[in-house]
Amino acid sequence: MANKYSWPEKPALLGTSVKRLDGPDKVTGRAKYTYDINRPGMLYGKMVRSPLPHARVVSIDLSAAEKAPGVKAVLAHVAVGAQVMYQGDPVAAVAADTEERALDAARMIRVRYEALPHFANVEQAMATDAPAVFPGGNTRQGATEETGDLVAGFAKAAHIVEATYATHVITHVCLETHGCVCEWDGDKLTAWISTQAVIQSAQQFAQALGIPQANVHTIMQYMGGGFGSKFGPDSQGIICAKLAKLAKAPVKLMLDRKEEHLDTGNRPSATAHIRAGITADGMLTAFDGQSWGTGGAGATSGFPLPYIYNFPTRKRTHKDVYINAGQQRAMRAPGHPQGCFLTEILMDELADTIKMDPVAFRVKNLPPAAPNAMWAEYFARGAKAFGWDKRHATGDPTPGPIKTGMGVSAHRWGGAGQGSQAHVDIMSDGGIVVKCGTQDIGTGTRTIVGMVAAETFGLPLSAIKVEIGDSLLPFSGGSGGSTTAASAMPAIRVTSVDALEALFAKVAPALGTAPENLVAEGGRIFIKGTPAKGLSWKDACKLIGTEPISVNGKWAQGLSGSGTSGVQFAEASVDIETGIVRVTRILAIQDCGLIVDKLTAESQAYGGVIAAINFALFEDRILDRVTGQMVNPNMEMYLLAGMSDVPKIDIMLNNMPERGVIGIGEPPTVSTASAIANAVRNATGATIRSLPLHPHKVLAALEQEKAGGTN
Amino acid sequence: MRFTLNGTFRRIDAHPLKRLLDVLREDCALTGTKEGCGEGECGACTVLVDGAPVNSCLVPIAQINGARVTTIEGLRGRHPLQHAFVEHGGAQCGICTPGMILAAVALGKKPTLDQMKVGLAGNLCRCTGYSAIYRSIDAVTSTARRNRGDRKDREARSGSRTKKPRTRAGVTR
Repeated sequence: MANKYSWPEKPALLGTSVKRLDGPDKVTGRAKYTYDINRPGMLYGKMVRSPLPHARVVSIDLSAAEKAPGVKAVLAHVAVGAQVMYQGDPVAAVAADTEERALDAARMIRVRYEALPHFANVEQAMATDAPAVFPGGNTRQGATEETGDLVAGFAKAAHIVEATYATHVITHVCLETHGCVCEWDGDKLTAWISTQAVIQSAQQFAQALGIPQANVHTIMQYMGGGFGSKFGPDSQGIICAKLAKLAKAPVKLMLDRKEEHLDTGNRPSATAHIRAGITADGMLTAFDGQSWGTGGAGATSGFPLPYIYNFPTRKRTHKDVYINAGQQRAMRAPGHPQGCFLTEILMDELADTIKMDPVAFRVKNLPPAAPNAMWAEYFARGAKAFGWDKRHATGDPTPGPIKTGMGVSAHRWGGAGQGSQAHVDIMSDGGIVVKCGTQDIGTGTRTIVGMVAAETFGLPLSAIKVEIGDSLLPFSGGSGGSTTAASAMPAIRVTSVDALEALFAKVAPALGTAPENLVAEGGRIFIKGTPAKGLSWKDACKLIGTEPISVNGKWAQGLSGSGTSGVQFAEASVDIETGIVRVTRILAIQDCGLIVDKLTAESQAYGGVIAAINFALFEDRILDRVTGQMVNPNMEMYLLAGMSDVPKIDIMLNNMPERGVIGIGEPPTVSTASAIANAVRNATGATIRSLPLHPHKVLAALEQEKAGGTN
Repeated sequence: MRFTLNGTFRRIDAHPLKRLLDVLREDCALTGTKEGCGEGECGACTVLVDGAPVNSCLVPIAQINGARVTTIEGLRGRHPLQHAFVEHGGAQCGICTPGMILAAVALGKKPTLDQMKVGLAGNLCRCTGYSAIYRSIDAVTSTARRNRGDRKDREARSGSRTKKPRTRAGVTR
């Protein structure tokens, strides 16, 4: 139902490619990230962390550190007798006048540990003779989900595939590490913090420190990535605030790269033993899966399974397995890349049992089509655009060591949002300030806030001053779950429309008409249908008088939607002598509701795809199976894609303005890895049922295939 | 320690082993140079020393005595690559951007695709915005190539070519 707030039918700005408002600040080094904040008299904080994966703290001796040169504050974070549950678990901290002195003093803190039994992987934790490491058990069995008569389902099957599939643990590796600068004024705290949730961070500081939330002011103007790992102050933020209080001086505490890998979150692993049935004409009949995964020390590891496709009868159980490693955090579409991989590799194996084309097989087993479930259309469009008809059957018949193949996968995500508030001021000199307590985590939120206001006022983006990233601004949620655009944009639209109406009321008498006859377009306010009868924006605003137009508003229904679907195609080549996989082409089709800024929306899709190439081919958190130590807590042995690893990527965004704004920060990263793995399977004829597709695993799968097949 | 920073002579009183990165950010208050990993893997701290890209987190200040150092601030917002990164969305969260731009500056005006890939291999982007970064750099370098081509065309047409035409042979490999 259209109303005065509805998105314009013929937008001037929305849906076009608009460059980032803050681009100039970012390319010149002017943009100030948390790490760049320097305060007068500022100290540097450094944390002491457990070197052991599981231990009891026997003693903490702070005395040497307290006497060290330049040290202004020292604190113990845990009590003597407490247990540390993973390598990197925080134990103590210092603040000193230089970073080097803080580091030196941290080394002087003597902590004695009594080592306790630990688990470095799920196999150790699940062993029948495993010691009791976690209070309440080393695993937690979830409820069984069951639909239909599984026995009857399998009875209908002409073929059954039974195998174990797995994905690994990766870490967020934000290029700007976690951290903050804390400064007290009496009992009031100001914190510059690298966060995806500026207002929620203020709330968490207040709760942890036992002070009123009204006394906390958090600021985040620029941040170097979060990907789901930066939703609050965490231990380092609280410690930073405590050090600042003790030292009576501002403290900067930014984590180093190793701490970042150990203690700021990761994507949990996922493994599933699956039995699935298929009829001779390609209908799925049954799915029976037992899954488990680890989110580290005492954290969950859930994910959707089976993913998307319609198994008429199904049963699934899941078990969280605790190991002595840092806890998981949300990471770009939490759970979905795992569930997608486990299901999509199975799908190709099932299709091969009846020699059916993987695209046709998937289309046959999709849930009903809907605006947020457009897979059938995308499979068809994508197959045509990608040249799917040139795909050979499993196993590239081309002679020589380089084999090429194609794969496909589908995904879904939510992307709904609500609950944002906003404030708009229009000044008598024509100036406009739009305020919202959301934050730009690199996605382009600052720009699209400005675009929605500019669109509403009929002005260029440069006419809008955008204020975000500050806890003193009107409420908005944290930037997670691709909710930011769908939550903040309606609030900006509603508030801007109301502000414009207030302006119309001031302008209408001067133009001898009623406010409802006015429109704002092209930098002018005029009587609908007769553009000559009007005023320039600036002249119109002169009628405002001394008291500016000042309007509060909030999110309203009908301007945003929920649910997205996408399909991705991948082409990869595999050197069967070295096991090296190269991705050569990706096609990503994604629906996204109303596109606000095409440039930043496409950036999300490109970035999502390349991040998933990292997941598929490179990244892997490796824990030593004996010591429980992470062996690659850096950016050298923890592999990440660079410029030369990027294939040709085509993005097809399906603009659906009638659905309102829907976030797409996460969905494009879900299905890429499984499409790549299916392409590798199509190329080599060997099935690799676990990520990452490192060369040694490719070679092992090829050996197994030669020795009589992987089934 | 004496060196030229963004065209201005500087004298810095710091420990000779202090990292160039910290000298720039703390002693010179130029925070455009970022730290990503502190061990020379991510390239966020890339600056130019005598025109060559280096990871400033790996360079003790003693090594730059008498050298010319250029940071992102030294491009003064006027370099075509800076404009291109804004235009084509090459900066997302923006934390890799200063290093990325300086590494691209060091490629010279007309890098080949391979030179571009190798030259930027040491600069990681965690928003994984490589596609837009590539387009940003390519927009500048292909313009440079085109302009050179246009000039050659014009010169050829007018017959007023004064310089001996340069050949590729011997220039590369």
